[in-house]
Amino acid sequence: MSLGAMSPGAVRTLIILGVLVLWEALPRLGLVPMLFLPPLTTTLVAGFSDWRVYGAALVVTLTEVAAALVFAVGGGILIGAFVGALAGPRRILLPVFSSFYAVPIVVLYPVFTAWFGIGSESKIAFAAIYGFFPTMLATAAGIQTIDPNLVLTARSMGATPVQRLLRVILPASIPTLLAGLRLGGALVIVGVVVAEMLISAAGIGYLVTSSRTVLDSPRVFAGVLLVLVIAMGFDMAMRVVERRCAAWGGGAPAQVPRRRPIARETGQANAA
Amino acid sequence: MQPLAELKPVVDEAIAPERPIIQVSGLDHVYPSRDGPVHALSDIALTVGEGRFVVIVGPSGCGKSSLLMMLAGLRHQTAGTILCSGRPITDPDPDRVGVVFQEANLFPWLTAIDNVAFPLALRGVSRAERAARANAMLELVGLGDAGGRYPHELSGGMKQRVSIARGLVQDPPVLLMDEPFAALDEQTRMAMGEELLRIWSATRKTVVFVTHSLTEAVYLADEVLVMSARPGRIVDRMEVELPRPRTYEMMAGAVFGRLRDRIWQQIKAPAR
Ligand SMILES: Nc1ncnc2c1ncn2[C@@H]1O[C@H](COP(=O)(O)OP(=O)(O)O)[C@@H](O)[C@H]1O
Ligand SMILES: [Mg+2]
Repeated sequence: MSLGAMSPGAVRTLIILGVLVLWEALPRLGLVPMLFLPPLTTTLVAGFSDWRVYGAALVVTLTEVAAALVFAVGGGILIGAFVGALAGPRRILLPVFSSFYAVPIVVLYPVFTAWFGIGSESKIAFAAIYGFFPTMLATAAGIQTIDPNLVLTARSMGATPVQRLLRVILPASIPTLLAGLRLGGALVIVGVVVAEMLISAAGIGYLVTSSRTVLDSPRVFAGVLLVLVIAMGFDMAMRVVERRCAAWGGGAPAQVPRRRPIARETGQANAA
Repeated sequence: MQPLAELKPVVDEAIAPERPIIQVSGLDHVYPSRDGPVHALSDIALTVGEGRFVVIVGPSGCGKSSLLMMLAGLRHQTAGTILCSGRPITDPDPDRVGVVFQEANLFPWLTAIDNVAFPLALRGVSRAERAARANAMLELVGLGDAGGRYPHELSGGMKQRVSIARGLVQDPPVLLMDEPFAALDEQTRMAMGEELLRIWSATRKTVVFVTHSLTEAVYLADEVLVMSARPGRIVDRMEVELPRPRTYEMMAGAVFGRLRDRIWQQIKAPAR
């Protein structure tokens, strides 16, 4: 069977399986030194035999990610919507934010640890800022793509400013908000892990770095694997949310359960 | 400009026999713009009799949309008064005026029926009543069984029908339509014209319909108002004495041709 004849899902599964098999086979066959890449099973054993340590690190990292996500995505979407929707702030603030975005904020991380200490606070602050700017800029750009005719139409029906915001602008922004959430979430995960790897005493990033300094490859890769799991978990959560919202997006998958239209209640009697 | 001057008196002499529902006098509008003020409308006076189908025809850019926006209360005129049912129009009032735009402007996140029910939802009409009234409107426009579909699942003509249903759902005595079929292909456009006349005769609304198509104007109207190029003013007014229901064959007749010609003479003169 050729690859072209398979469903995209099947191809995806096949690729993942292939990677896992290679991960196990390459070091076992001596094609890659075990120090560079320990076999998958060795990595898993290292992780599971130390599950208390990894579990605790996971909790620390996830907590930091969640807190940073609230600031980065909440703040990014709120301020981005504000900046994008109003011409005045857009003209003044957008260039400022855009140039901030160009600064590699990671060089400031040591400063963050000086301000917030080497505990979770500095990671949260760093990741929040790291995720904030792109989320805000994406939201500001997305808000401007809302069709102004929809707002005009609502106005012609007598919609109040609050109704226009809640019933038109907000739902029309959902694709933008989701894109912002996805981007912000991915960056926050990166930000937290990088911060943990640089200066810290806890979390998965810290485990990876500290294992690396003693050349304990299986434990390094166990940490890497855990970060992968977090990223994939976030991706899956996003997919669920996107599916929920995609019913009206055009080209939405057919199996999406639709929001029940009010027609079901009284209309079908006439139609039948 | 000379032929226009000769025709001018026609406008003032004519008085609609029906009770007037829209009365416009001394209407003037100037848009401020970067390249100096744009005089869009000049000294517009018109009266629309109750239950009439009035078409405003004129070259593009002559201020038709501006005029309609003001009739809808969506934009404030520089000078002049607009009365609807004897009271001034200053803000959108869906109890008096429904609006249908060139684009259907349906909310993509709502099903057809929820789109039609949207104006009712804004006013807190109960769910059951909303469903019943929206369904009745969908039946009226021939889409009784499409209520559960999202806008992206509807053709251009169907979308515009939903938009008409939405414009009628609050049962306003007046329906304003701004080139509602201009974005449709020729066949759909013809069919929609016929459909609109059917809806109109079923509901007995007063319709003010804007178009730049001469054929559409004569085919639909009881009365045609011809606007000149910018600054838009009404340069001619004519009764269309063709019997109803209108048929496709009438378009080839002498009366139709004469009226079409008369409009053409007015609007070609200042053509740029
Ligand atoms: N918001 C605006 N600001 C400045 N000029 C405008 C604006 N809206 C319309 N105009 C100008 O007013 C004139 C009439 O426009 P419009 O009412 O849209 O004409 P029509 O619908 O007949 O094509 C045009 O010349 C247009 O450029
Ligand atoms: Mg127009």
